[in-house]
Amino acid sequence: MVNWEYSESVESQDIVKIKDKYQNFIDGNFQQPNSKKYINTISPSTEEVLSKIVISNEKDVNNAIKSAQMGFEKWSKTSPHERSKYLFKLARLIQERSREFAVLESMDGGKPIKESRDFDLPQVAANFFYFAGWADKIDLSWGAKSLKPHGVVGQIIPWNFPLLMLSWKIAPALATGNTVVLKPAETTSLTALLFAELCEQAGIPDGVVNIITGDGTTGSLLVNHKDVNKIAFTGSTQVGKSIQKSLAGRDVGLTLELGGKAANIIYEDAAIDQAVEGVVNGIFFNQGHVCCAGSRLLLQESIHDEFVAKLEKRMQTLRVGNPLDKNTDIGAINSKEQLDKIEGLVNEGVSDGGKIFQTECELPGNGFWFKPTLFTDVQPSYSIAREEIFGPVLTTLTFRTPQEAIEIANNTEYGLSAGVWTEKGSKILWTADRLQAGVVWANTFNKFDPASPFGGYKESGFGREGGRQGLLSYLKAES
Amino acid sequence: MIEIKKTYKNYVGGKYIRSESGKTFTLNLKNDSFEVPLTSKKDIRDAVTSSKAGFAKWSEISPYTKTQILYRLSEMIEGHKDSYIDLLVLGGSTKNQAKKDVETAIENIVWYAGLADKWEQVSGNLNPVNGEYFNISHQNPIGVVFSLNSDSNSLTSLLNSIIQPLTVGCSVISFSEESSIIALKFAEDINNSDFPPGSLNILSGQFEKIFEDVSKHVEINLVSICKIIPNEILKKIQENASSSVKRIINMPSEDGISSILPFLETKTVWHPKGT
Repeated sequence: MVNWEYSESVESQDIVKIKDKYQNFIDGNFQQPNSKKYINTISPSTEEVLSKIVISNEKDVNNAIKSAQMGFEKWSKTSPHERSKYLFKLARLIQERSREFAVLESMDGGKPIKESRDFDLPQVAANFFYFAGWADKIDLSWGAKSLKPHGVVGQIIPWNFPLLMLSWKIAPALATGNTVVLKPAETTSLTALLFAELCEQAGIPDGVVNIITGDGTTGSLLVNHKDVNKIAFTGSTQVGKSIQKSLAGRDVGLTLELGGKAANIIYEDAAIDQAVEGVVNGIFFNQGHVCCAGSRLLLQESIHDEFVAKLEKRMQTLRVGNPLDKNTDIGAINSKEQLDKIEGLVNEGVSDGGKIFQTECELPGNGFWFKPTLFTDVQPSYSIAREEIFGPVLTTLTFRTPQEAIEIANNTEYGLSAGVWTEKGSKILWTADRLQAGVVWANTFNKFDPASPFGGYKESGFGREGGRQGLLSYLKAES
Repeated sequence: MIEIKKTYKNYVGGKYIRSESGKTFTLNLKNDSFEVPLTSKKDIRDAVTSSKAGFAKWSEISPYTKTQILYRLSEMIEGHKDSYIDLLVLGGSTKNQAKKDVETAIENIVWYAGLADKWEQVSGNLNPVNGEYFNISHQNPIGVVFSLNSDSNSLTSLLNSIIQPLTVGCSVISFSEESSIIALKFAEDINNSDFPPGSLNILSGQFEKIFEDVSKHVEINLVSICKIIPNEILKKIQENASSSVKRIINMPSEDGISSILPFLETKTVWHPKGT
């Protein structure tokens, strides 16, 4: 075993100032909530209490919606070109304060600083830049003059990419002329609240962006509010279904970005070393807390043993630990609840008969951690091969022919993403055409860009985020 | 001489069939009446099986060939224009209204025939991503579509409830109630236009008897409702649909590119560039 000892290089927390307690951001300022119920928000890597956030109640949701309605009046009168400039301004402010956001994101969510700093924040700024430019070009986007904003949009986002998901939601909604009430996940609200400060700084008209904290009960109040015109949700398929059900019979727009169980297909003629890197990035990026994670490795039978050996060797080099250490590859699991879920599914995989490999590494004493895990000898019927684990756990299946690979890949109710690795161009195109997935990464994985639409087939949801197609999620055809 | 009256049947998998239940219902038109199949739950399931097979075939057919098959459909209707006009008149239209309706239907088919090999150039595009990647978004047909036709005595209305998903490669189960006769008649021209069996199935019946099954069926990917229905039924349909994240479109747009977008799934493919 190679010795991978290294010196710590811990990012300073001094740049971040966390308040003892946060209020909701409504009508352009932080307001005393009506709800008296606060919860602690903790660092999942130390279990230290960082701050308190409020669980907003019905009155708070009402206030936020009312503010967004008044904001919509103003925002509708703001010229598209001016709206564009507001978004450009936000994009620049994000870049200027990006280190502060990155450190806070890693403290509050547990993701490695190298990801929050080099992936999340640059992507957040890029999203605002990209959609800023669309704001005054909506007419050009689909050649239809009848496309109009919905009005007040309720947005509910998950804890895996807190600020990035905020940018995926707020930037296109504002660019298309909507106003928003956004509810971040209760374990990762802090960067959204810091973003609220940027809105003040950028002089975004009051009521255009409203941010309220809370849990599922707050989310449900938002979904069921009579004055909300559209809901955009990113999260689990289970919650997505219940939102779709709640909106039945109501004239409310809906887009859903839900779970996934992506197949990452490795043909025998792939560039193996590159594919190993891609597979590692596909599943261990962000602790596997990624809806499009390449969690089902599909190996052509002839390369199974060689590939697994290389993969295990590569996995062993992954550094698990302090998210603020710049050397860390895998940070903390976002919450105790999520850790329990991962452990439960992994135990099931073992008792089903899967062969488990976990890297040898020391895990910190406090916080929530899970070792990078690989399953082989897995049957497609095992729950580890069917259910979204949302953790650093990779499941291996094998195939003999391209047709069989497609069958296995598509044999899931999900359809968010997929990967394909081969050096043969025609095989890539043949495979990509047949995969039922909204995003197909060929000889790469987990690449994102504001210009590139993202979203699922089947039970992975509907609507797209990003790109020209992403605009349609916030526009409706008006006759 | 005694009049010989045509028996109208459902059209499923390229065949004219009665309801497996043996049931019919009486359709009282303004100037005539007919017995038409009362589609059962089992008939719906059979139609879905057929539509799945039809989807596999129809979606594989090249856009160029789709254009020709759709154009062929307009030719077939043109050839049988008079019989459509006669049926529409039985349903209460004046001869002039009927003639105009059939002509509009034909014009619409020709428009969509010409779209079948172009829509991907309008709805898809390269994406200028930041990095050395080839990144393209294009669309796939969503799959099996169930479409509820309006009660209008009109070939154009029927056409506008099915042509958009068909154009992009979906298979369609078209369901009519009061306007069944024109739909079942239309099946004959579908049959003569080289559509693969199952790509378009045509059923008659009462929607209230089958909507629960339609909205719960996991192999129907999208339900398109082109008729104003009571809100409590719409609500029930949408609730049932949520159990499989099924797409429900209420009164779809008939306008240009917006008319096909609901029937598409956008797929984005990335590939690195390099030497």
